Amino acid sequence: MDHFLLLVWHAFLVSIFFAFLWRSGRRERVKLFSKMFIVMVLGAVLLGWLMYPVP
Amino acid sequence: MRASSSQDRIEGGSEGRPAAPLPLLLAAWLIPGLGHLILGKKNRAAVFAAVIAASFLTGVVLHGALAVPQPGAPFSWLAFLACFGNGVLYIAGHLFGFGNGTAVTAGFGYGNTFFITAGLMNLLAVLDVSDISKGAKD
Repeated sequence: MDHFLLLVWHAFLVSIFFAFLWRSGRRERVKLFSKMFIVMVLGAVLLGWLMYPVP
Repeated sequence: MRASSSQDRIEGGSEGRPAAPLPLLLAAWLIPGLGHLILGKKNRAAVFAAVIAASFLTGVVLHGALAVPQPGAPFSWLAFLACFGNGVLYIAGHLFGFGNGTAVTAGFGYGNTFFITAGLMNLLAVLDVSDISKGAKD
């Protein structure tokens, strides 16, 4: 089981859901999806690095 | 003069919109995507159904547990309410035993998260159905 893959899968599902919930046009949906997906994946990785020294 | 809050509730809000029909909200909760399908939002219905089902199935594959309220554990109620948002999937999970979870497996915690995520997304979809049916959203 790859933890990072699960993170990406979770971010993918949530981003698609909110893109369709909050936006109506195709272009706007793609924009919101991309933004949310990148922020969630990179944000989690960054948070992981910041927490690395914490025991 | 401003109408009273009880009058607002009867009329479905301060803008005088009618309240969303209860059977519609119940259908939207029971089967993910059904509420949007009834309202003619086919694309949204298909995507919501697929995303919620995929999240739920991931929870099953990872051996997560569909939360039930535990005595003396107030936070278990929050997890229960979130999981209960899955509607018929939650009921089927308990009936057929695929949401019982295995705490010793590596994916248990992740499985729980996917169950909770699926339930919360379905509850948000129900609120969306309510807004659309009241005319507050397109």
